[in-house]
Amino acid sequence: MHLCRSMFRLNVKEEIKIMKRLFRGVSVGLLGCALMFSALTSSAERSVKVLGWGAQSGPLKSFGVNSETALRSAVAEINAAGGVKLGDGSMVPIEVIGYEDSACKKDQNIAILRKTASTTDAIVGMGTTCSGSCQAMFGVLQKKVGDASDSGLQMPILADTCIRPGLAKISEWAFRNVPNEIAMYDALFAWLSQQHPDIKTFSGGTETDQGHSFITHTKVIVQAAIRHGFEWVGPAVPELGPKVGQGAKELQAAAKTQHWLMGDTNYSVQARKIKKQNPDMVLVSSHPFSACGFLKEMKRQRVKPKLLVGLTSSASQETLNGCMKEAEGIIIPTGFAPITPAAQKANEIVSKAGGFLDLHSAAAWENAYLVKAAVEAAGISANPENLAEDRVKFRNALAGITAAEGLIGPVTRNAEGEADKPYVFVQVVDGKWEVIHDPRG
Amino acid sequence: MEDFWYEVVEVSQSIADGLLFGSTYALIGIGFTLIFGAMGKLNMAYAAAALGGAYAGLAGFVLIKAPLVLVFGISAIATAALGYAIYFTCFRFIPVNNHLASLMASVGALFFIDEVVVHVTRGSPLTFPSMFGDVYFELGPYGIRGDLVFVFIIGLISTGVLLYILFRTRLGLATRAVAQQDIAAQLCGIGVHSTNSVTFAIAGVLGGIAGAMTAAAVGVLSPVMTVPLTVKGIIVAVIGGLGSIPGAIIAGLFIGGFENVFLYFRGIDERDMYVVALLFVFLVFRPNGLFGTAITRD
Repeated sequence: MHLCRSMFRLNVKEEIKIMKRLFRGVSVGLLGCALMFSALTSSAERSVKVLGWGAQSGPLKSFGVNSETALRSAVAEINAAGGVKLGDGSMVPIEVIGYEDSACKKDQNIAILRKTASTTDAIVGMGTTCSGSCQAMFGVLQKKVGDASDSGLQMPILADTCIRPGLAKISEWAFRNVPNEIAMYDALFAWLSQQHPDIKTFSGGTETDQGHSFITHTKVIVQAAIRHGFEWVGPAVPELGPKVGQGAKELQAAAKTQHWLMGDTNYSVQARKIKKQNPDMVLVSSHPFSACGFLKEMKRQRVKPKLLVGLTSSASQETLNGCMKEAEGIIIPTGFAPITPAAQKANEIVSKAGGFLDLHSAAAWENAYLVKAAVEAAGISANPENLAEDRVKFRNALAGITAAEGLIGPVTRNAEGEADKPYVFVQVVDGKWEVIHDPRG
Repeated sequence: MEDFWYEVVEVSQSIADGLLFGSTYALIGIGFTLIFGAMGKLNMAYAAAALGGAYAGLAGFVLIKAPLVLVFGISAIATAALGYAIYFTCFRFIPVNNHLASLMASVGALFFIDEVVVHVTRGSPLTFPSMFGDVYFELGPYGIRGDLVFVFIIGLISTGVLLYILFRTRLGLATRAVAQQDIAAQLCGIGVHSTNSVTFAIAGVLGGIAGAMTAAAVGVLSPVMTVPLTVKGIIVAVIGGLGSIPGAIIAGLFIGGFENVFLYFRGIDERDMYVVALLFVFLVFRPNGLFGTAITRD
């Protein structure tokens, strides 16, 4: 009994020792594991976060859907190739932390921008497509970087189109990826005047409730046509001239009876007015829905111009969906066509992902690569603690990239911050968009 | 003098075009007025359901190569089904006296249907087949679109059938009885809810035809048409007199011609301003519209 008791005591002492050793061992092991796990996760979880937005609802939904597909596809390609290099030399992926629905509405775009800037770790906001929304959104950004007296948001924005000229000057934080619309239409009419010497006169209409269409038509397209010798035979506007914007206000007032709204269902008056003018060339400066409505009305009223010219935003699949037959022959300048191996590959990838690559969505694809270039040039840390500093570094690096390789050629940016992408002229031929001219030769 | 006659021709041509196109407004207006006449409530989702039905018709055309008559039939049936669903979700279980709740519920239904269409089509405009789209009658300086004449005739036939149902059938009698005094109608053995749901379905048939005809007249179907058609339908129903079918027809044609004249003279920026001003004038000086019955308090 005594022996048993002493043995028991011995065993208990031994057990306590073993337990202590075990506890120490487990503690050290756990601590080691925790340290290792923390080191591993901090490296694995680090990523360059971006947040995109565009129209995911409403009549312009196709813009957002295609841009999101293109952005996500390009990011997947970049990540598959190793990701992006941070300032410390580590390679991390780009992470699209969300794609918000801005519905191409100004207030929604501003709300998303504010949310992105204040509640997310996104280093850059990647939206949107519509010029009016960009104009409103850029207005809430700080105008000049480092201006302490300006309480505007300090958040880099990289928009996937917003083609209306002059938006870059609103804020140094805002960047776009678009062709220069003034140069694009100038080159188009220069080429048309050479190719179609039989075409002398022109007229046309636009949708007045869409800022881009209306302003581009009255300030850019009509003047570019006049500049290259075409005669305006619409309502008389003595002030109308070849300089950008010359006589634009007078034209807006005089020609308002041959314009329409995006949601209109009846274009009979406008088509008859243009029929009466009997122009050789008709400009349909309108987005696909109303462009199709107007083109169909022209066909019904037997208006047969020798040439149709459209708005760059209508060089898309939507136009073919809506009025393939009536749009036959229409010529539009655009910043994307699958004419290079890179463009063809991107087109294939985006198509497989269920999207359509056009002027807008191709810019979203290219923007993903611009983000990669800017991140690598900036040497950012991608740590949430350094977010504000990283955003400034990223913006400065993006501003420093004045030339980058795009899908159909180099994309440049001038001193005013206005992007200048290459462009081509496309035409609907046998129900398909075909490239008919590349101004670069 | 030549300019004067040119203007006369152009203005009369604009009025003629507007009157013909106004038949689509009239059909939408009839739908609004029919439901208001039966229940004393506005179904804001009516035009959205009409266009939703037109999309169903278009799906039939694309998927099963349905002939145009069938496209119109599918549109009518689909809109009737949507009308039935709207009645059950926005009106059936909401207390009769809570007009605001049913109004807001139908506004919700409008946006829901619109967003479903946007989701399915990605907002892309789609070609809608046109009947007699190539027919164009030229009478001297005037030109009349064959498809709009067709729309006008179908509008007249649809209205005739609707009036026949309302005034020559037991269903129409029941609808009118429920509209006039629902409790008395119930005491006479008329099922108020079944009558109302059938009224929604009938209005839906009309709406489906209107939606398909509007799409055929434009040649394109797009979600951007929903809100303008809803606004025009309500204006037509109010100016015609809520509850009055002849009023909706006349107001629809009138609005079509009126807006075209102002488009011709004043341009697109001011066109809708004059149409809405006309609505304002009616609401102030003739709140019961052209043919509506006096609105009194019980």
